[in-house]
Amino acid sequence: MERELQILWAAIVAYVLGGVLAIFGVALGRRRGHVVLGLLLAGLLLHALSLGLRWQRLDHGPFITLFEILSSNVWSLMLVYLIAYWRIPKIRPSAAIVMPVMFVLMGWLMLAHPGEGHFPPTYRTPWLFIHIGMAKVFLGATLVALGIAGIVLLRRYRLAVQRFASLPEDRRLDELAYRFMALALVFDTLMLITGAIWAQDAWGRYWAWDPLETWSFVTWLLLAFAIHLRLTYRPQPVRGAWMIVAVFVLAFLTFFGVPFVSESPHKGAI
Amino acid sequence: MIDPGEKDALTTGGPALPVLLRGVAALGSLKLTLTLLVVLVPAIVLAYNSEQWRSWPLALPLAGLAVNLLAALLSNPAFRRQTALIVFHLALVALLLLIAAGRMSYLKGTLEVTEGAWYEGGALTSTDAARWHAGDLDQVRFTNLGFTIDYAAGVRRGPTRNHVRWIDEHGRAREAVIGDQDPLVIEGYRFYTSFNKGFAPTFAFTPATGETIVGAVHLPSYPIHQYEQTREWALPGTHRKLWILLDFDETILDPAQPSAFRVPAEYQVIVRDDDRRWALHAGEAIDLPEGRLELAGLRTWMGYNVFYDWTLPWLAATAALAVLGLGWHFSAKFRRRAWDA
Repeated sequence: MERELQILWAAIVAYVLGGVLAIFGVALGRRRGHVVLGLLLAGLLLHALSLGLRWQRLDHGPFITLFEILSSNVWSLMLVYLIAYWRIPKIRPSAAIVMPVMFVLMGWLMLAHPGEGHFPPTYRTPWLFIHIGMAKVFLGATLVALGIAGIVLLRRYRLAVQRFASLPEDRRLDELAYRFMALALVFDTLMLITGAIWAQDAWGRYWAWDPLETWSFVTWLLLAFAIHLRLTYRPQPVRGAWMIVAVFVLAFLTFFGVPFVSESPHKGAI
Repeated sequence: MIDPGEKDALTTGGPALPVLLRGVAALGSLKLTLTLLVVLVPAIVLAYNSEQWRSWPLALPLAGLAVNLLAALLSNPAFRRQTALIVFHLALVALLLLIAAGRMSYLKGTLEVTEGAWYEGGALTSTDAARWHAGDLDQVRFTNLGFTIDYAAGVRRGPTRNHVRWIDEHGRAREAVIGDQDPLVIEGYRFYTSFNKGFAPTFAFTPATGETIVGAVHLPSYPIHQYEQTREWALPGTHRKLWILLDFDETILDPAQPSAFRVPAEYQVIVRDDDRRWALHAGEAIDLPEGRLELAGLRTWMGYNVFYDWTLPWLAATAALAVLGLGWHFSAKFRRRAWDA
């Protein structure tokens, strides 16, 4: 286990270096996109190695304990964000918003106990990977949207206007952020569907209003509400950005709050 | 999800429009969609907090959303032109209707079957059936041929493998191993093994006049009720109540190391009738005023959850259609302009 943790630490160091460089790059106006990309990619590969070693040792994926859930989510969120960072260079300064969020998760991960948990029999199904995979893409898409929305919100302050001056105008960022919200809606829908299929087989019912199911459904509704609101009223980008923040906060609480306070058997499986 | 620029004249209104069309347009407006989505949230809070609030409080805003959608289809040609979006939204309406149909015809229940015994339809240990449930539970026949469950150290349950035999719709006997997420499906009823299982002392009772009856006493679930392996049991065909206790010293599930569920190799069954008490081993018998009671042996019993909902495959297909529609819509929409443009 020690080697896994050492590699994880190395990954965190690479993430933090990449994140700090991205933040200072925005603050000082000296962007080093390729270096940041390289550091984040190095972190991702090291992290994948650490997760793989743990998986091999325990003979199950990182889906059980708080440590495993945080670790796998940090990895998947970084993967989704890295793809966006690589493919859409214009939004790279959003790393200044996204990485502090990731630092919070990484700090929490470092505090979590890395001990192993029991892999329940109901988790021995391909639906585990499908359901969790969809959930991770959903949260990743919401994180990218949050990063873009953050730029729109920070631009209201004089200090930040110049820092983000080279980015597209707010309307274009708003449109791009809502593309990621639409992507999030598709994967959130898939997550709910695959979760229902799994629940039917695991517990003999596809829906039982357990805390995680209910919060996930409310998150889906808020996401649908945000998209409909944008189409109905065409709000200013700033208001649209606040809506994205609200969706992200709810999704974050659903992912990292509800499973650990609920008493239902449906916990940790995200 | 209609582009504002594509809004139809109906949604914005016009003096020449008949009142009925304006009414339909108002019913199909996105503003009403937003209002109903907001109304749905307290309905969900109610549903989450109390089972009795899971029908009408949810059904009303959902029905409102369905009406809102149908009105939008009638009143908004721009919406009608977006086939994929219509597929998504209509699939959502179909999902609601299917869920409602399922809620009106479902059955949930539990049952326990002794190893080697047949479940022959009908009565369940507990039943929760919808008013219009019309399945053929009476036609269901299956037998529990025993199960294996491995436990990790710390008495952590591993996968359940339950060997079952049943009679299919053609009258043929079939066998399979079910467990955890692999249910036995007969006549639309899905039988899932549960964590509920235990020991079943089996008795052969021969009344003073009549044939021998074999019966099993399902002791409380093991290992949850490890120290309460006792149960009151009515002698078949009589009013006499006996107190049955399974007594053994072996450690079946060892917290210190991996183990497997099994019946103890050495045991005795204590039978008590008021102030009389007998300790029986397999094959031993006692004489009671009503007849002779012999301990035939010790078996296991398995608890099953049974679930019936004919809408399940339709729900899965409709949900898949919904997400395909949504993906198709956004894919077509975003293809018009590059993400990094």
